Amino acid sequence: MRKSALVGWLLLAPSLVLLGGLVVFPVLYNIWLSLFDKHAFMPVQAFVGLKHYRYFARDPEFWTSFYYGSVYAGVTMVLQLGVGVPAALLLNEGFRGRNLLRGVVLFPYMIPTIVAVILWKWLLNDSYGLVNHLLMSAGLARPVAWLGPDYIMASLIVTSVWQFFPFVVVTYLARLQTIPPELYESATVDGASAWRRFLHVTLPQTASVLFVIVLLRSIWMFTKFDTVWLMAGDGGVSRYIRTLPVYAYARSFTYLQAGMGAALAVIMFVMLLAATAVYFRLFRSDEVFS
Amino acid sequence: MKRALGLYAAGAVLLLGAAFPFLWMLSTALKPSGEIFATPRFVPLHPTLENFSRLFADTSFLVFFRNSVAVAGATVLLTLTVSSLGAYSLTRYRFHGRDSVAGLILLTYMFAPIMIIIPFYILVRQLGIVNTRLALVLSYTTFCLPFCLWVLRAFFQSIPLELEEAALVDGAGRGRTVWYVVLPLALPGLIAAAIFTFILAWNDFLFALVLITSEELKTLPVGVNDLFNATIVDWGMIMAAGVMITVPTVGFFVAVQRYLVQGWGAGGVKG
Repeated sequence: MRKSALVGWLLLAPSLVLLGGLVVFPVLYNIWLSLFDKHAFMPVQAFVGLKHYRYFARDPEFWTSFYYGSVYAGVTMVLQLGVGVPAALLLNEGFRGRNLLRGVVLFPYMIPTIVAVILWKWLLNDSYGLVNHLLMSAGLARPVAWLGPDYIMASLIVTSVWQFFPFVVVTYLARLQTIPPELYESATVDGASAWRRFLHVTLPQTASVLFVIVLLRSIWMFTKFDTVWLMAGDGGVSRYIRTLPVYAYARSFTYLQAGMGAALAVIMFVMLLAATAVYFRLFRSDEVFS
Repeated sequence: MKRALGLYAAGAVLLLGAAFPFLWMLSTALKPSGEIFATPRFVPLHPTLENFSRLFADTSFLVFFRNSVAVAGATVLLTLTVSSLGAYSLTRYRFHGRDSVAGLILLTYMFAPIMIIIPFYILVRQLGIVNTRLALVLSYTTFCLPFCLWVLRAFFQSIPLELEEAALVDGAGRGRTVWYVVLPLALPGLIAAAIFTFILAWNDFLFALVLITSEELKTLPVGVNDLFNATIVDWGMIMAAGVMITVPTVGFFVAVQRYLVQGWGAGGVKG
């Protein structure tokens, strides 16, 4: 038995070394780093305590980033549910070509972000894009600058919802498939309409998976870096969609202020932790999880 | 009848929404530049591969492609090896704290890369492996591990111990038993883990952006973004690059889709 435990730990060791060294240690090091003024490359560093945190509390750029990040996470999460849940309900029905469609719907989620971004930048291109062409054929007088300051957030949201709604579809569909058919049969016998069956059978059955989807998607959208960064590009519009992850990246690797970047990462983490705690208190009742 | 019609109509809308942007990308990639900037039409009048040949001849695209294949391939191999060993330990050996370790491993999945990229970068610099493929492979392996360990753990748990014991009694030895009995039975799980890992490594932008500085080591997402940021955007060539990046993912996915559905059912999402 003793020997067996030793072998067990040995087999697990590579995983533990990697996760410990490359996730757990950086997380702790990050907290420590946030208390220092540190250059991103040079070995110079000086202890400054909570200076960075005090700085960000009064930093308008920080609060703008927080605002854009919250709008982005909130709106994309709601729209992903709005598209993903009906799509999953549809793919749970029986019709020809369903399996093909189940596969195709996943594609936007599987491709690299750079592809999603160049695709939508091309569709939304102001002079040659298909979207403006269709709008103008429909009678719009002038092309819309979708990637300009006024519409860049809307364009980013559309791109992100298209890219990430398949996650909602897959997750919700997996749960839908495990609902016992008898529940629907008895509801139908009782004369419940499709809408009432959804309200009284589907929704209660899927409440717990919706709880998880909302949590995961909000966290992932709040910490999303690549889609936002790539959508903004090098141009001047980047400040209209600068979310906290992008701000943290800019602090660390553009201004090379690693300590400040680390402090932003800690702030994001604390915000997520607090939001998650509130979310659990508000919605996680035993009813939902029974 | 009316219901069926409604289903097909909704299905068509979903199909169009998910697939049309890809088809438009393909259509643009096959158009000569004159047509790209003319009134948009779906089927190219004079389809051509000149965008692709320009992409291969005038840019470092093939270098980026080779780097991506090498990094994603090595990541899949390393991740499957490390997580198979770990998952086997978590299901076949009894030791103190085993289940809490499994829980803690899942917890590390909570940290988004952007939240540890700064210390990560400093660490990689200190280790002296900044600007190497090794740094990318290690990063991706680490970020895939929690998911892969949990998927494989679920699969290994579902394999009856009697099968292994029978093989052991027949004198097969632990290593041969795992190789010939356990791993083949866990194949759907291994494939699901492989796809997840491949897609993460193939798609990543952040680590590749931060950890790689030299042109000849760049992977596709960063390389193509550089092409895009050139002063005049060559849309035909960019769309050709998009097609080239998408094809391996889609091909890989289509080839193994039936295993993947099982993998999701058993390991990934359980509601």
